[in-house]
Amino acid sequence: MTAAGSRVIIGAGLDRVDAPLKVTGGAQYPNDFDYPGMVHAALVRSTVAVGRILAIDAAEARAAAGVLAVITFENAMRLSRGPMTLLGPSPPAPLQNDRILHYGQHIAVVVAATAEQARHAASLVRVRYEDVEALLDIDDPAAPVVENPWRLDTERGDVAAGFAAADVVIDNTYTTPDNTNNPLGLMATVAIWHGDALTVHDSTQWPHNVRTSLATIFNVPESGIRVLAPYVGGAFGAGLRVWPHVILAVLAAREVQRPVKLVLTRPEMFTSVGHRPESVQRLKLGATRAGDLVAVQHEAVSTVAMDDDDYEPVSQCSAVSYACPNTRTRDRQVRLNIPCPGSMRGPAEGQGNFALESAIDELAHELAMDPLELRLRNFAAEHPVSGLPWSSNALRECYTRGAERFGWSRRGPEPGSMRDGHRLVGYGLAGVSYPGYQVPCQARASLNRDGSAFVRSAATDIGTGTYTVMTQLAAELLGLDTGRVRFDLGDSDMPYSPQAGGSGLTGALGNAVHVACRRLVREFLDLVADDAASPLRGARLDEVEVSDGRIHRAGAVGRGESYVDILARHGLEELGADGRSTPPLPEELGMAIAGAFGAKFVEVRIDPDLGLLRVARVVSVIDGGRILNEKTATSQIIGGTVGGIGQALFEDTVTDSGTGRIANATFGDYLVPVNADVPDMEVVFVGEPDRATPVGTKGVGEIGLVGMAAAIANAVHHATGRRVRSLPITIDQLML
Amino acid sequence: MDGMRGARRSSTAAGAGIPAVNGATDVSTVEVAFDVNGVGCALRLDSRVTLLDALRDHLGLTGAKKGCDQGACGACTVLVDGRRVVSCLMLAAQCEGRRVTTIEGLSDNGAPHPMQAAFARHDAFQCGYCTPGQIMSAVSLLAEGRAGSDEDICEYMSGNLCRCGAYPNIRAAIRDVAASEDA
Repeated sequence: MTAAGSRVIIGAGLDRVDAPLKVTGGAQYPNDFDYPGMVHAALVRSTVAVGRILAIDAAEARAAAGVLAVITFENAMRLSRGPMTLLGPSPPAPLQNDRILHYGQHIAVVVAATAEQARHAASLVRVRYEDVEALLDIDDPAAPVVENPWRLDTERGDVAAGFAAADVVIDNTYTTPDNTNNPLGLMATVAIWHGDALTVHDSTQWPHNVRTSLATIFNVPESGIRVLAPYVGGAFGAGLRVWPHVILAVLAAREVQRPVKLVLTRPEMFTSVGHRPESVQRLKLGATRAGDLVAVQHEAVSTVAMDDDDYEPVSQCSAVSYACPNTRTRDRQVRLNIPCPGSMRGPAEGQGNFALESAIDELAHELAMDPLELRLRNFAAEHPVSGLPWSSNALRECYTRGAERFGWSRRGPEPGSMRDGHRLVGYGLAGVSYPGYQVPCQARASLNRDGSAFVRSAATDIGTGTYTVMTQLAAELLGLDTGRVRFDLGDSDMPYSPQAGGSGLTGALGNAVHVACRRLVREFLDLVADDAASPLRGARLDEVEVSDGRIHRAGAVGRGESYVDILARHGLEELGADGRSTPPLPEELGMAIAGAFGAKFVEVRIDPDLGLLRVARVVSVIDGGRILNEKTATSQIIGGTVGGIGQALFEDTVTDSGTGRIANATFGDYLVPVNADVPDMEVVFVGEPDRATPVGTKGVGEIGLVGMAAAIANAVHHATGRRVRSLPITIDQLML
Repeated sequence: MDGMRGARRSSTAAGAGIPAVNGATDVSTVEVAFDVNGVGCALRLDSRVTLLDALRDHLGLTGAKKGCDQGACGACTVLVDGRRVVSCLMLAAQCEGRRVTTIEGLSDNGAPHPMQAAFARHDAFQCGYCTPGQIMSAVSLLAEGRAGSDEDICEYMSGNLCRCGAYPNIRAAIRDVAASEDA
């Protein structure tokens, strides 16, 4: 089956289908929901990083105006810990004992009639703690260390021999700080119990995970729980887990037997929903004088919380980005008394790529070689670990097209050699090989009697464009105008969807929608298989095409009929079909499953007297496989690039070394890029549809961020001769 | 700031619509009347209620968003007497007799405001959470005469954070509307 006219629908820059709601204030985010009798919860957070609660006095809070309940570990119901998930173990359930594991830990929840009353009463809860010294420093020798936490360390060839044979060895340490996701949307939960049934609005990237987790934690049937997240105010990874505040909102609603709303404050967003963990990375490269890599060694240390886990294999990128016979990658985690880290846009890759692509630039400088040429020379034509051919890989084209669009040939090789008036000009480059990721997903497609289609899955659209691209895809597969297709998501009553994360949702969901739509067409063909009145009688799926609301025989538009006619003749109000996608397997396909590839070209301008740094231009060239919507995909890359500017220049979550308090937990103190920090930028897509799946997409949600930090650092070196190996790159590092 | 101009203060057990739960008597309430999107409204509120919370929690206008509650992100931007304010930093009690315009009041009989249409056309948002505030700021920018150059747009839109990073598209949308108004 193919679809006539597909070029019009797929790839076209269709405006977001949710745009009318979003520009009018009509899109409803979790904290926009209101219920009769709804009351409000506020959190009390630990002001120490470790120890035990010696006394908690809630009498004054309980007596305050409007207060319905104050729940602490002393009176909270017993909760089970959430289940193992695709992304690892669940966080510990809150209020189960007197132990403090990090600053900002939720130690009480106050419920009152209004949000003002709840917040005031929360301020009246008095807590006395045991005085214990916290582990807060990644270098603290007393901190427990987890070796090879995910069994993903790699070793191939003979690294020692590789370095011994190298003409040039580069060996440096790079550091990246804690970054906080900080989606604009304050994460919120609204919980309503009806007996043992439960409805939850939540700022989640994964409604099914919330459903499964709450069923386990509260020991109620999963079938009675409905989790809704039609719109989420960004997340960037912060909505991947069922964090303790979600559980507390549900617990509070159970306790007071009323609908409860809990909205995190901005300071609470720094300690409640994860963050990108700091890293210390030693990266050692060995090469021949001609520029062939002969040894790569990447050793990374990250931080993790005391009684929780985070998946963050920082060194992995060095195993798969370049062709090199001798490679070793190592990851370690240091356990500290900190809020648990979690995924933040481009987790692991964002940190690891900074070290790797900075080191490649340093090697190029040492070899007096163009960093572009060095990267092209060491291009991995096959997957470096498995040795399999890539399912798609246009990284070379990313480099060459980018160089052309950017004007890389104008780059003077010597640092400090380019100026624009008083300002130093620097050109920098980084390459990105993003890992492919896909997990099972389901969708359902129905055609109504009027010929319109309804397709759905319990996915989320956190700004990624899922509503829009799935509408386009279903429209193409069913031969309908996009205006005749409604794609819906964000409801755990819909077919199972995995998280919007790992740049994996478009692939997983797209292929599920693909199967559902094809099965739906087959359902129509089954209906008319023996129908003497149908011109499609006896036709097989591979013998038909769809267009204009009709199925017709391939190459013969006249020999077919409409969905409407078939449904009417058979007395059906609607016809539906389910679709399920499973991840492609390298061993079955004989191919390495490729993620997206990219090249980032950056120009910076630096005032040599003031150290002021501006990103003046960015060209991103991305191999994202088949692009379903160039407009929304471009936005994803631009948005990621802006996140990368934040990582490179601004973002640094500062933890007070004595107390573990986050010292800059506001938008006034934790700097993120603003409009004036971001230039207009160019995004180019190259490459072909990926061969591993029918739909042929590769995720583009995270790759835009990755590479920016290194490209900017490399541009800074080119502008000034100064190598900055510690993020963020701040004025004090640039005073020349 | 005009402070508590015209607002009537009272101290009662609980304001209208606030269920008395503990019967405590320390809640100060205010009565305040102002115009929202051309419609007059009168409210009796806990005196701590901000304009943002009054709009969202008491008037059902959830278009304005809470991104920080500290005046640092701009998601709650609305117009008060035609000027943009961050409504999380303004108490509802300060709005007595004033004219408030929110994103819900921007369209003209259901037809989108040109800025709303331009935001949609230029994909000037992703998650959409900051969008009502961005659009209210952008509309104000034109009225302030600060949309004439990219430098001005960058500078005077920098109080509205967009964590999805739609800034280049936001500028394109504003440029587009500014150019059509000049034409």
